[in-house]
Amino acid sequence: MSKQYSTVLFLATAAMIAGCAGFLPSTPEVSDNSAVVALMDSARADIANGKLDAAVAPLERALRIEPRNPVLWQELAKLRLQQGQYQQAEGMATRSNSWAGTNKALRAENWRLIGEARLKRGDRQGAQAAFDMAAEQAN
Amino acid sequence: MDRALFEKFRNFVTRKRVRFTLLSLALLLSGFALYLDITVRAQFEGKRWAMPARVYARPLELYPGMKLRPEQLTMELAMLDYHVAADPQDPGSYRRRGDEFTMVTRPFTFWDEAQATLPLQADFDGGHLSTLTNRATGKPVTLARLDPVPIGGIYPAHNEDRVLVKFDEIPPHLVKGLVAIEDRQFYAHHGFSARGTARALVSILSGGGVQGGSTLTQQLVKNFFLTPERTLRRKFTEVMMSMLLELHYSKDEILEAYANEIYLGQDGNRAIHGLGLASHFYFDRPLSRLDLPQAALLVGLVKGPSYYDPRRHPARALARRNLVLQEMRKIDFVTQAQYVVARASPLGVAEKAPEGTSPYPAFIELVHRQLRRDYREEDLRSEGLQIFTTLDPLVQTSAERALTSRLTQLEKDRRIPPKALEGAVVVSHSQNGEVQALVGGRDTRFEGFNRALDAARPVGSLMKPVIYLTALEQPDSYTLATLLDDSPLVWRERGTSDWEPQNYDKEFHGQIPLRIALANSNNVSTARLGLALGVRRIMDNARRLGVERDLNAYASSLLGADSLSPLEVTQMYQTFASGGFLVPLRAIREVLMADGQPLQRYPLSVEQVIEPGPAYLVTHGLQAVVREGTADALKKYLSPDLHLAGKTGTTNDLRDSWFAGYTGDRLAVVWIGRDDNQPVNMTGAGGAMTVWGEMMARLDPDPLVPPTPENIEWSWIDSATGLRADGNCQGAVELPFIRGSAPMETAPCAAHSPARSLKNWFERLFE
Repeated sequence: MSKQYSTVLFLATAAMIAGCAGFLPSTPEVSDNSAVVALMDSARADIANGKLDAAVAPLERALRIEPRNPVLWQELAKLRLQQGQYQQAEGMATRSNSWAGTNKALRAENWRLIGEARLKRGDRQGAQAAFDMAAEQAN
Repeated sequence: MDRALFEKFRNFVTRKRVRFTLLSLALLLSGFALYLDITVRAQFEGKRWAMPARVYARPLELYPGMKLRPEQLTMELAMLDYHVAADPQDPGSYRRRGDEFTMVTRPFTFWDEAQATLPLQADFDGGHLSTLTNRATGKPVTLARLDPVPIGGIYPAHNEDRVLVKFDEIPPHLVKGLVAIEDRQFYAHHGFSARGTARALVSILSGGGVQGGSTLTQQLVKNFFLTPERTLRRKFTEVMMSMLLELHYSKDEILEAYANEIYLGQDGNRAIHGLGLASHFYFDRPLSRLDLPQAALLVGLVKGPSYYDPRRHPARALARRNLVLQEMRKIDFVTQAQYVVARASPLGVAEKAPEGTSPYPAFIELVHRQLRRDYREEDLRSEGLQIFTTLDPLVQTSAERALTSRLTQLEKDRRIPPKALEGAVVVSHSQNGEVQALVGGRDTRFEGFNRALDAARPVGSLMKPVIYLTALEQPDSYTLATLLDDSPLVWRERGTSDWEPQNYDKEFHGQIPLRIALANSNNVSTARLGLALGVRRIMDNARRLGVERDLNAYASSLLGADSLSPLEVTQMYQTFASGGFLVPLRAIREVLMADGQPLQRYPLSVEQVIEPGPAYLVTHGLQAVVREGTADALKKYLSPDLHLAGKTGTTNDLRDSWFAGYTGDRLAVVWIGRDDNQPVNMTGAGGAMTVWGEMMARLDPDPLVPPTPENIEWSWIDSATGLRADGNCQGAVELPFIRGSAPMETAPCAAHSPARSLKNWFERLFE
């Protein structure tokens, strides 16, 4: 491999990583506990690399530290949805809702996830009810 | 025939016979060798692959801000056998100075990642870890794990229990010691030592029988098959087999087999074979955690486990150990400094041979049962799986100590014969269902009857919250303020005798608010409520909460005539503790193959089985039990500011004493009773609750602040009438209601009381 070529490759890779980082913001609102933030980042990196099964472990570790953190429960719901575990996705999103307090955006997203999970399981009516709840949160 | 011809013929025949004989001999020999080869390999392979599953506690996660007291870290490090050092440099060493810890963690491969050894500085501020720093880089560490405490294995069921170890688990100084004492040429020879064998031959030929001269390989072969006979033929077979072994296997493999085979002592009629089991038997710790002098003692025992028995002949054992150390020093296997320290150290033998090889047999049994759903028994006992569990040794220790100390005290206080009382404790994480501790009886190392799993006892009043839940799920009919009828009740049912429930105080209380009936555990009003709702429906609700056992639907079932084990009760209360979500109790997190490859995870799972509103109201009711009801004496152990929720349980004739309760972070269930089912003469509050309180007090519980569901609103209620009041109504309480279910009617006191006018006057003043 020529030196020039590897430089280009390096730059391209760096740009790609930077791009990914843009899509995956290390959201400041996850937690003020840096251990939880680190675990969340690790889970998101696994997800970005398509390692869905691997992402579960750091999320569960984070939940052991902050079991009342609705963002972590929601992240687990999203992951379960991606993995096709629809019943668990709904369970996790519902659990996230119970800790969401007045965070309407979070609630709306949870209801949307519940709706999608129900849709995938063939429950159209239940899904619509959930999507209505999501819309209600937005108002 | 002339003579010459005859001679020729005879020579020919003789030569042929010799040739034939030689050929047959060679054939016979190679046949024999082949036979030996097959036998020795079968034997070796059979032993080599039987590796039991190894079980670990949860690893302690360290991060700044975590709730942990310095003494808890000290305890964890002690359980991990980290040794104290003035200047910790080696993995597995630490130093504590007040609130400051310096330690070097051991490297460990976890499920999700391998963590290299870390030099850490951990500083505490009261009950919290305040800062965590990497001493090598000076940089802050956001999260680090200690290696997990090994808590046992799943071993072959037959008599000859072993703690099989892999070669890399054997401490290097132990290997060196064995080589130094038993077979210095081990790494050079081909299975036998020519000089040793020659010496043995001379000894046999001179009529002395075979003596000594055995390499480690030969010793292994002897242990595998042979009876202790001393003949030439036997010596020959042994040498052959040793050579064959060396042909097929590496030195490390042979040493591993040797380490698992060697006879090292006797415990009654149980033979102690293998270094792994011997390490538990003599030192009560896993082999990998032996220090140099302990390793040297084990090496010394090989020569004569009975003669050098360190428990019966400590002086002989000490001399033998020091001889081993001296030999190791001679060939420079240890430094002079190591030698001096090791020589001066005590034998370090556990006073009594521990029962079994796990400090937590009751928890291991739970793990084993959960594993059996997914794995074949022989795989668990032979594939060398690594099982990572949820056990928190710090919680387990608190539970064990609280149970044993309280039982002893209760026996003294109540003049119960010593050791008559038994008990069980289960502790779980209130949100994710991980079982953190499980105590199966007061003899915590006993591997027999596991009361936490197998003692199904009538649950008494622990069933009541299910009745109240069923009621509160109908907000149009029942709220926390609803008045219940606590007047005498006789229930007649075909096929059963009349049922006349009594209150504990043997009185009837007329009309009492629902939440007070729960707080005071009134039997009569609760029974009336249950009968009105329907017994079958309530028992079905218990199953919805997570009870898997079939329950009766007799009227007496309402007051807990049905039996559940402490673990089953924990599963039922888990659903209350997690706000209406069924969270299956889990004792296992991950299973890895022997080589560290991930095999299976047991993930967190949640399912909403109860609406958040009623679940919230039940928890509010259970908080009233602790604040002002049958569990109010819990304040002796824990601050009322923690707003804990709990329920006492007492059964007929005071045979069982129960308490189930939860904090912000843990759920625990305690049972006390007698194995012969005789009365213990104590209520749930008098017995089990005190264990719960003492245990939780050691664990710095988080306050219980359940999230308020969207559809919950608060109203002031006049207790006496159950009608709406305001804050100044005497005896008024503010209660949560599912939206729209609070009474509309106003109590007389609220509208006309002077207090009300005064309040109105103030309110006008500030408007």
